[in-house]
Amino acid sequence: MKTLWSISLIGAVLMLILELASCSKQACYDNTDPVMNASLLASGTGHDTSAVSLIVRGMTATDTIDFVDAKSVSNFSVPLDPGNDVTIFYIILDGVTDTAVITYDRTPHLVSAECGYTFVSELTGLSTTHNIIDTILIENNSVNLNGKRNLHLFY
Amino acid sequence: MAKGTCICFISLFLLVGSRVMSQDTVTVPLHVRGGFDLSGPVMHLINNNLASYGVMASVDLNQSISVNAGARYTSFSAIEYNYSFQSKGPSFVIGPDYNFIKPKVGEGRYYAGIGFRYGLSFYSQEASGITYLNYWGEGESSIPLSHHTGHFLEFTPGVRTELFKGVTIGWNLYLRVLISSGAGPDMKPVWMPGYGDATSGITTGAEYYISFSIPYKKIRVIIKPKPVSTDEDNVEVVGTPTTTPASIPGGRL
Repeated sequence: MKTLWSISLIGAVLMLILELASCSKQACYDNTDPVMNASLLASGTGHDTSAVSLIVRGMTATDTIDFVDAKSVSNFSVPLDPGNDVTIFYIILDGVTDTAVITYDRTPHLVSAECGYTFVSELTGLSTTHNIIDTILIENNSVNLNGKRNLHLFY
Repeated sequence: MAKGTCICFISLFLLVGSRVMSQDTVTVPLHVRGGFDLSGPVMHLINNNLASYGVMASVDLNQSISVNAGARYTSFSAIEYNYSFQSKGPSFVIGPDYNFIKPKVGEGRYYAGIGFRYGLSFYSQEASGITYLNYWGEGESSIPLSHHTGHFLEFTPGVRTELFKGVTIGWNLYLRVLISSGAGPDMKPVWMPGYGDATSGITTGAEYYISFSIPYKKIRVIIKPKPVSTDEDNVEVVGTPTTTPASIPGGRL
């Protein structure tokens, strides 16, 4: 039973070392920015298609922010404004501008103790002008960190 | 005279009987135990963010199995670069312990075994300040105080030894598996009292207990006799003919 005694005492020391080691702070390596993913589809056929050029700008109270400016794209990802329940995007497809208004509910989401909180959203509504866009359908309401497609944009 | 002879025979019979019995059984005291966790207060001295105080009680059901229950109060706060978080509340665990030490060796004073527990955590949490910086700029938010009930399972291998009569010390490693934080997938607590970091499905750690035990009952446990090894059998078989009458004449010759 002396062995058990030794184990008890050594264990106590090891335990203290382990606990101290677990107190050390870790860095954040996780993705903390949820984005809304959309794919472009040909109106009528519903097949995947590519735009010659695509520019997507987010509208703030005082300014616009360029999120996408690319050639020959078939899908895009944009973040929703975590400070508001509505985000307005200017979508310029092949030089033609449409405006999309997206409404959603925001929820704080704990990524990890190291990374802290981000905001995930549930899409509640979507409206758009129809200069070049035929329609935008919501495929998946949850805008979170899982990378799943949220919108089908037909044009 | 006859009565005295009878008593004498009965006494002898009892003596012989008890002697036979003592070879096959051992008396093991069963204990009621109560104690407190030392690791929580010690860790609080090192890590100011976490205050955790635990007490435990256990009852031996037999020489190997005891029922263990524990209560703990935890208060946690953290201020990280982009959030501040607080959680606090009591947690409770209950479940059996199994002692692997044989009763003859342990004598009810030593334990090396494994425990299995079900845990419940009644806690409140709030994040009073959340700041974020992303493509849209900077912002602030907060999560108001909310109350939740979390569930978890705990596996605790450990050892315990008697420091002196009635006082035991020992430590348990623990592996906790989260069943539910009770706060939904988005609002999992940074620290769930009784469990730990609830963003992880498994947490590990250790606890160090001092406990006081009182024997409440003694039981007689049957010790199975060691099976006679074949080597010993061989020795006896070989040795036996040397003591047989048949071998004696040869010796005399």
